[in-house]
Formats: sequence, structure tokens, C-alpha cells
Amino acid sequence: MAQSAPETLGPLSEEAIPEDPNSSKAKEITGKSPLQIAFGRLRRDKIAVVCATVVFLFILIATFAGPICAIFNVNTDTVLASTRINILGGGLPKPEFGPPVGPFTWAHPFGVAPNNGDDNLAYFVYGARTSLTISTVATIVAAFLGISLGLVAGFLGGIVDRIISFFVDLFLTIPFLLAALSIAPILSQRFATSPNYSKIQFIDLICVLAFFGWMGLARLIRGEVLSLREREFVQAARVLGMPTSRILLKELLPNLVAPIVVAISLLLPAFVTAEAGLAYLGIGVTEVPSWGHTILLGVPFFETYPLYLYEPLIGIVALVLALNLLGDAIRDALDPKTRR
Amino acid sequence: MRRSKPLALVAGAALLTLAACGGSGGGTPKGGETRTYKGEEGGTKDPKAVAPAADVPGAKTGGTITVYLPGDPGPADLDPTDGWSVTGNSIQQALTSRSLTQYLRNADGSITLVPDLATDLGTHNSDYTEWKFTIRDGVKWEDGSPITADQVAWGLCRSMDSDTFPSGPGTEYSQTYFYGAGKYKGPYTEKDPNCTKWGGTSVDGNTITIKMAKPFPDMDYWGAFMAMGPSPLGKASTPPDYGQKIMSNGPYKVESFRAEEELTLVKNDQWDPSTDPARHQYADKFIFKFNQDQAKVDQIMLSDNSESQTAVSAALGSNNYDKANSQLGNRLVQQSSQCTSFLAPDYNKTTLNVRKAIAYAYPYEDAWLAGGEVPGVTRVPANSIMPPGMAGKKEYFVDGEQFTYNPDKAKELLSQEGYGDSKPYPITMVYYELDPLAVAVQKQITKGFEESGFKVTAIPVQESPYNIWLDPSNKINKKLNLRGVNWCSDWPSGLTMIPPLTRTGAAYNTAQFSEKSMDDEMSSITTKPLTDQADAWGALDQEMETKYFPIIPTAFRNDLFVFGSKIGNGVGDGSIGAPYYKGLFVNQ
Repeated sequence: MAQSAPETLGPLSEEAIPEDPNSSKAKEITGKSPLQIAFGRLRRDKIAVVCATVVFLFILIATFAGPICAIFNVNTDTVLASTRINILGGGLPKPEFGPPVGPFTWAHPFGVAPNNGDDNLAYFVYGARTSLTISTVATIVAAFLGISLGLVAGFLGGIVDRIISFFVDLFLTIPFLLAALSIAPILSQRFATSPNYSKIQFIDLICVLAFFGWMGLARLIRGEVLSLREREFVQAARVLGMPTSRILLKELLPNLVAPIVVAISLLLPAFVTAEAGLAYLGIGVTEVPSWGHTILLGVPFFETYPLYLYEPLIGIVALVLALNLLGDAIRDALDPKTRR
Repeated sequence: MRRSKPLALVAGAALLTLAACGGSGGGTPKGGETRTYKGEEGGTKDPKAVAPAADVPGAKTGGTITVYLPGDPGPADLDPTDGWSVTGNSIQQALTSRSLTQYLRNADGSITLVPDLATDLGTHNSDYTEWKFTIRDGVKWEDGSPITADQVAWGLCRSMDSDTFPSGPGTEYSQTYFYGAGKYKGPYTEKDPNCTKWGGTSVDGNTITIKMAKPFPDMDYWGAFMAMGPSPLGKASTPPDYGQKIMSNGPYKVESFRAEEELTLVKNDQWDPSTDPARHQYADKFIFKFNQDQAKVDQIMLSDNSESQTAVSAALGSNNYDKANSQLGNRLVQQSSQCTSFLAPDYNKTTLNVRKAIAYAYPYEDAWLAGGEVPGVTRVPANSIMPPGMAGKKEYFVDGEQFTYNPDKAKELLSQEGYGDSKPYPITMVYYELDPLAVAVQKQITKGFEESGFKVTAIPVQESPYNIWLDPSNKINKKLNLRGVNWCSDWPSGLTMIPPLTRTGAAYNTAQFSEKSMDDEMSSITTKPLTDQADAWGALDQEMETKYFPIIPTAFRNDLFVFGSKIGNGVGDGSIGAPYYKGLFVNQ
């Protein structure tokens, strides 16, 4: 009688068979970090993908403003108004420069501005650059301030916490709009004669936005840290003698990434809106193209030349909406308790 | 255009209009008046005008009139001695604050000088160094107390105080022509609360005699300013409080006043029409709203909704001009404002050729377009200091032809001074940053100048440029070599245009022009016979501009007023460049 291969009824012991960790099946069920899980969920969320694309488009427009203008052969230089505007036409452009009086023309795809003849496409892309630059830098500064102060306040507690919380409350009580409206003219007056005036305006606006935007993040981080610091791994680290800075950076911060990402993604649209709002009120940056400034100039023309008003308006609405929805989607993706 | 912004600073125009206008309305006036009135057209005088004033045909009493003043902050206070602006003076002189004389608008648009508190237009001695006015009986303040000649004398005394009222018209006229000019500093500065130290006026019953330091033939015109009216004696009229709560003596009194926001006037039952040859009291109430948003006001007026039917707007956005023109018919009124806009290069820092180059480098139409004006309608090219219609104005051109934007000629003139493409002439100027239209205008100016061989440093400022230009100790002002001024004539005489802008040391001489020969010429014109003066001013205008060219006239200004469909007698007042408030009524 021939013997076939020995029968095996399974593993000889109760231990699990060690699998090859590099096999694809293994990779599929390998533990993922919360961020990776969140990213996967985000990718499957259609709205988030659309919004991310829109935001990415705007970032492209803002970064490549110069080449875009070169392709269409437009620029933000001032032109003599009478070359483009009808003298007795109520401020509207001559027919050869596009809507509303004439047909679409490739020379000025977005039309030209009423009263002064600036090209709308150039002002649109450079306005996008202004909005995104200011809000991104302000977000980074505000985030940096908020996170560091929140971490320190939450972890150290005691008198440090009280001082920092006092400043948080102080800045929260100052109404942002009033402060911006009063600080702007003071700084403008001080630096009006300086040749770097437009840069100073830029920095001034970023500081104003950042100094009134860090408080939310600080409070959030402080709250999270207060609960985290009583956890065993933190206490273990303290007992082991880890220096505070390492605990903050290596133990606490990685656990805070989720709320930080959410807060940042919501700070960005808030700052874009704030910058445009301030420009509409006539303060903020006046020396560089800005969507808010264009809207301010466009309001009287909402009946006779609506395109001029809608271009920056749609720009702001699209950008802020996309950022807000993206932020919402990120928050949903990061929260383990929600199910899709 | 200017916009109102919540909580933000005033968004005024880069060049604000100042000074009450005294020119004549529509037609060509003949100035050089004598004391007899034989049907002269245009600016005339009628010392025998009867009161009460003839009723406006179809006028009805009652109703509330709302007046919108877009982009105009209005007066900061209502003190009559302090008022030297078109807005404040046009409102108060018509409705609340009477003075020695006033203007009456005739049905054809011409303007006549008629008596107000005085019984006639004053009597003078042969060389105009002494004037007598008799105050009428029956004129009262809003609280029923009578107006006395002493109170008028006190008002005149107050106008001498240039330190207390530094932007008031007394700085130009009282302190130049009245007795004690240059010596008596005013009752508040000299701690003279009863005006005993002056001696410029003497009162005998109802008659007040005014002594002049120099011949002053235009005292009757100067008497139309509310600064030449009565003030309550003593502490009741102490500045600055009096400016917030004045006593009225016109057909309306102040119910509430919030500077730069709103002024509400209600009927003054103590005003007696039989003492007033020009005013009426038709509407029950006037509400003046300052600092309005131009776009919003345009929409209100064009919509003809119930709110706008009894409203008036003192300005119209250029983007709505076509629509308003076709839609509103004669409810849209174009009124020449007797005002000229000027560029004022610093006389000590520039030469004649450079100034001519600036006149060729300024992009007139582009600046008007960018600033929301209607070229040819609200702004017309200017050739002289004196505005069109002023008696004696000469049609001359400084450089042979009307200045237009001509970069080549500008470069040619600059090269004669040693400047060229490699060495552009540096210009430093200011602009009002809070008004987006002012920013756009500055961009056009910079572009025009830089194409013409200049290099422009434009300093943004957060307040009215006048605050900078009129302050000799201002740090920024010291750096500037190009300023500006908008000036309206105070009455139809070159006396109110040329000396306030070009006399050495005059407050609004932003060019800082100073030539003794010109100052002497100005003083000597007032000693000439009255009929020769108008032409003499015209000749001085031409001589000064052709020889020295201290200020560059860039535009003559016209205003556009819009009247609601229920407003009756909606017309412009050519004497001051504002709606004619005296004759407005509501069609019920």
C-alpha cells in the first residue's frame, strides 16, 4: 500500500502560524494609524475630493499667477483710463474690451474694470495669491502660537496656566473688527513714508489676523492636554524622568494631530473671509490686488456691469466654501465615532 | 465714489470742496455792480426787496424732506462763525442762521443779493471804509428773545478770532478788511469777553457801524455769510459748546445734530416771514444725512419708492448718470458750482517750466474717469483761476492753448530744466488711502506723470489731505512738492478766488506762493473804482498765471442734484453750489 504525504490536520500547537509580514494579505490587515484610516475615509468621500480639487486649483492659480498672466498677455499695470473706458459711458469699458458693452475677447478674458480699466483676470489671479498667502501665513503663525501656548498652559498648569488663560480671555474679549479698524490706520500712518509700505501692510495684516485667531486653538489644545496628561503613558514618561519638552513634543503632540488638523483647516477660510472683509472696509492691503477691494469697487456696478462684481465674489465664495467643506470632511474622517 | 463704512473712518474724496460759493447762477453775470439796479442779468442786488418773499407757485406746506449727502461728512460743528464749507453754509444760511444779507434765487435761475436781518444792503461812505446796517424790528431767536444790534456786533467780533476759529471765513475776510486786522486777535484769544478792546463796531440803537482797515466794497456780499450774523452774548455762545447746540433764528431750528451723521431741523415758530425777503417755511421738517453711501443713495433716488419721493440727493454717481439722465428728466439738475480744482506745486521747490510740465503731464480725463466723475458734465477743463461766469474772467491760455495731457511737451519742458529719461523729476504727493476712488485716481496720476518724465512718490494718508497741506509743521507736509486745493468763490468777485489762494500767508495758499508785486496788486485793486474791479481781477488772474503760474487749474466743477418726485421747486442754488433749500416744498 503506497503512503501519500502525511496528513496534516492543522497546526500542532494552538499558536498562530506566523505569516509572512510582506505578503499583500498581511499588509491589508496590518494595523493602520488613525491618520491613515482617516485619509482613507477622506479619499472615499466624494465631497471632500471635489473640495480638495478646488482648493488645489486655487493654490495653483495663486502660485502660477505670473505665468497665467503671461499666457493671456495681461498684467496688473495701471493704464490710462481714457484708453479703455468710454468717456460718457457711465464708467463702462469700450466695446472692444469685452462685456458688458462688447462681446467676449481673448485679449481680456475676464473683461476690464470700470472707471479705471485694470484687467480683471490679472487682478483675479493676483487677488487669489494675496488671499491665500495672507491666510496661509496667518494660519501658520496663529497655529504655532496657539499650539505652543496651549501645550504649555495645559501641561504645566498652575501659575503658567493662569497667566496664559488670562491672555486668552483678554484677546477673546477684544472685538476683532474694532481692533483691526483702529490698528490699521495707526500703523499705516507710522509707515506711510517708508518705501516698503506694501510689505509692511502685508505683515501688519498677517499679524492682526494671527493675533486674533490663536485663542481658539490654544483653548482646544489646552483642554486636550489637560485630559491627556493624566494618562498612564504620560505619567510613565514623567516618572522615567523625560524632560518636559520631550514629553510635549514626542508624547502629547502626536496625539493632538487630529484636533490640530481640524482647527487649521477651519482657520484658513476664516482668515480668507476676514482679509476680504477688511479689504472691503477699505483697510487691510490696499497696495496689492485684493478680492475684497475689487468687490468694494464693483458694488455700484451690480446692475450695469455685474460680471465685474461676480468674478471676485465667486472666487471668494468658491474658495471659502471648499475650505470649509474640506475642514468639515476632515473632522468627520478623523472622528472614529462617525460612520459613513 | 465715497462709501460709508461701519465704524470706519470717513471715506471722503481726495480733494474736498471748501468755501461757500458766491458766484451767480446759470447765465453770465455782470459783476462790477454799481448801487443802481437797472435790470442787469445774473448777479444783481436789490436793497429794497420786500418781505415776505413771493410764494413759490404751487407750494404747499407740510411734509418731511430728507436730504442725502453722499460721501460728505458735513460740518463738524454748527457755529456760524466757524462755517466755511459748501455743505454746512448752504444748509444753515438757508434754514437756521440769518445774517446781514442773503441771496434770493429768481425763477430764471439768476441770483439777487437781498437784505436779511438788515433793512437794506448797508450804506457806506465814499471810500468804503465805513459801513452802516440797521437791524430790522421783529426779528427773534428761536426762544422768542429779540435779535439786537449788539448781538450782531458780537458776532462780527467773534469772526476776528482766528485762533479760536482757524478754519472759519473770518480768517480771510474779517482779519484782512475789518478795523484792527492783524492787530486785534479776537475776544477769546485776547480774553475780552465783551469785545471792548476792538473798536471795529459801534452800536446806536438798531444801527451798527462797521469800520474797515482798508476799503472793502464787498461788505454787502460778505454780509451774506452766517459769520456776519448775531450770536447770543456772553457765555451762551462760548466755543466749542455753542457749535454743538446753536440758537437758530431762521425758519427752522435744530432738533438734533450728530456730526458726520445726521442733522434734524424742525419749524421755528418764532420766525416771522414778514421780516424775511427770501426764505420760506413750507416743509415741517428737514433731515440731513451725511456720509451716505453713493451707490445706496443712487438706488434710492432712482427707485422712486415712497422713501425717495420726498428726498433730495446732493450728488450722483457717474455710473448712474446715463440712467438718471434718461429716467429722471428735470429731476436731475446740473448746477455750475463756481468752483475750480487746482494742483498746487510748491512754489519754492519748482520752477515755471516744471509747473508747466506738470500741467501737461496731468492725465485729466483719466483721473476724472477713475474718480467716478463724468468728464464734460461734472468736470470741464479749466484755463484760469476764476470760474466760468465770474465777472471779469478772461479767456486766456497760459501756454497758448488749453492744457491737455501731452507727455511729449512735458518731457520737452523738463529737458529744458536738465531733467530727462535718465533723470526723472521727483514729485512727492499725498493721497487719501481710505477712499478706493482716490486710490484709483492716484494710480492714474502716477501713470500719467511717469510717462511724462516724472518720478512719483505717493504717500498714502489716513485723513483728509487738507489736514496735511494746511499744517506747516506737519512732517509729511514738509516733504511734499505737489499739493492741491479745490476752491469755490465765496461771492461773485475775483476777491474771493485769487487772494485766498495766492496771497502770501493765506491759509489755503497750499502752493506757498509769495510774490510781493502780486500781493501789492491785490491790495490796490480794492481801492479802484467799483466798476473797474472785476476787470482788474481778471487781468491779475491772467498776469499771475502767465508770469508765475503758481497754481494749475485742472477742472471747473459742476454738481448733479437729484430731486424726488414729490419734491417741489427742486433747483440748484448758483450762489453756493448746493440745492436751493430755501424754496423746497413737498407736493402732498
